[in-house]
Amino acid sequence: MQLYEVLADQISHQWTSKNRPPTLAIDNVSCAFPAGKVTAIVGPSGCGKSTLLLILRGLIESTQGAIRFRYTNGSGAIVDGAPARMATVWQSFNLLPWRTVLDNVAFGLELASVSKEERYAKAHEAIKAVELGGFEGHFPSQLSGGMRQRVGLARGLVMSPDILLLDEPFGALDAQTRVYMQEQLAGLVETAGKTVILVTHSIEEAVFLSDHVIVMTARPGRVAATRDIPLPRPRAIEVQNDPRFSALFTEIYDVLRDEVVKSMMG
Amino acid sequence: MIRRTPKRDYVPFYGPIAMIVFLVVWEVGLRIAEIPELYLPRPTVIAQNLYLLFTEGGILQDLGVTLYRIFGGFFLAAFVGIVLGILMGTSRKLYAICDIFIAVLYPIPKISLVPLLIIWFGSGDLFQIVLAALGCFFPVVINTILGVRQCDQGLILAARDLGASERQIKWKVVFPAAVPSIFSGLKLALGIAIIMVVAAEMLTAKYGLGARLQLSGQILETGQVFAILLLLAVLGGLLTKGQERIDRMIGRWRT
Repeated sequence: MQLYEVLADQISHQWTSKNRPPTLAIDNVSCAFPAGKVTAIVGPSGCGKSTLLLILRGLIESTQGAIRFRYTNGSGAIVDGAPARMATVWQSFNLLPWRTVLDNVAFGLELASVSKEERYAKAHEAIKAVELGGFEGHFPSQLSGGMRQRVGLARGLVMSPDILLLDEPFGALDAQTRVYMQEQLAGLVETAGKTVILVTHSIEEAVFLSDHVIVMTARPGRVAATRDIPLPRPRAIEVQNDPRFSALFTEIYDVLRDEVVKSMMG
Repeated sequence: MIRRTPKRDYVPFYGPIAMIVFLVVWEVGLRIAEIPELYLPRPTVIAQNLYLLFTEGGILQDLGVTLYRIFGGFFLAAFVGIVLGILMGTSRKLYAICDIFIAVLYPIPKISLVPLLIIWFGSGDLFQIVLAALGCFFPVVINTILGVRQCDQGLILAARDLGASERQIKWKVVFPAAVPSIFSGLKLALGIAIIMVVAAEMLTAKYGLGARLQLSGQILETGQVFAILLLLAVLGGLLTKGQERIDRMIGRWRT
């Protein structure tokens, strides 16, 4: 499988609506998301990090700038080329409430006209991978938040995406569930070896899960700092006791603190 | 010995018991007060009339004709209303074009279209069906548009992320998301269809429950009038309950 690198090149985005003056959400952001690595974008609420994710995914078009994808081809040269598949996991899960777990996970394959047999086989596999075996016939409303997000994760993974995008994936979950899901996700990304882009407002989550952190400023979002996270893998939750973990946490928090204050002052 | 939980009031029986008490008071009260049957017949007389309507009066044919008209209009309006509603809900242009027509036509009392429709379609089944459909169409189309508009944008975004085309989004996300709202439109519509057809039958028809009701009134058969009203009430109740069942079946996921 090819590993894709994503480059954001001078991205700016302005929201325009009828009755309000236009607001600049993202201001001239350039950053790189290395191939096969997990990169986290952290920033205060409303800093445009989710908007940036939508732009990276191609679901909205930025007012300025461009997104580029690169991969290393067979002869070792780095070439431009868009990945075949990307998948997003959403904070609000966005599961289709009238579909069962199985049909939600198989939804993307169904849209691609994959035969019923094949898509159900793949969906069953993905459901097992997120430890939801036995819940195939349940509706999302019958599941807890953590289980719903595992369905969301399975729905993305079943597409075997080249790039996985996570938009505050555990933001709607309670604290214990979140830690458990973070550990599960760490395991999944370590074995999958995909390019992963994670948007979060939690510094712990960013440091725990990623190889690379991009810190954004308050609105309009700019890149305030970038840090590598050289913690060893595989990672379990105990890595939070590592002194390097707290050093990285403090370092990122120091950058973020001023921005958080700024965003609170409006 | 295991003790049973104390008896609770068994609420489901309250309704039927109240109905029986009501009927008994009606029956006995009228016998004592000696009110003539022309004004208010006793329940037993009404039951007898109803029985005669079925055995000798050929009311079944009228019932069939009325149901045919009701459902003809209802399904016609449901089909046109749902399709147009989804297209209007998803296309700004089409919405702008159709909205003004709906705004103007919706408030017209549909029963006032009877003279015009008779000129166009005569006074037979087609006229009845078109009238019922006109009454049903607006609640269906308006509720469908509402349901489509209320579709969670996150679901559309997620579908697009998974590679859905605009057409797939329309039929696999927006339409199912609008189903609860469409159903409440259909529920209103069925009630309107019954009203329209019976009212129009009273005005013009030779057959159908409305026509029979009108005739019975004219010949001062009060017992028959009540019997037909009873039939209409039961019909309406059954249709509403049936619709609730279908609604629950389709809406299993909402629990």
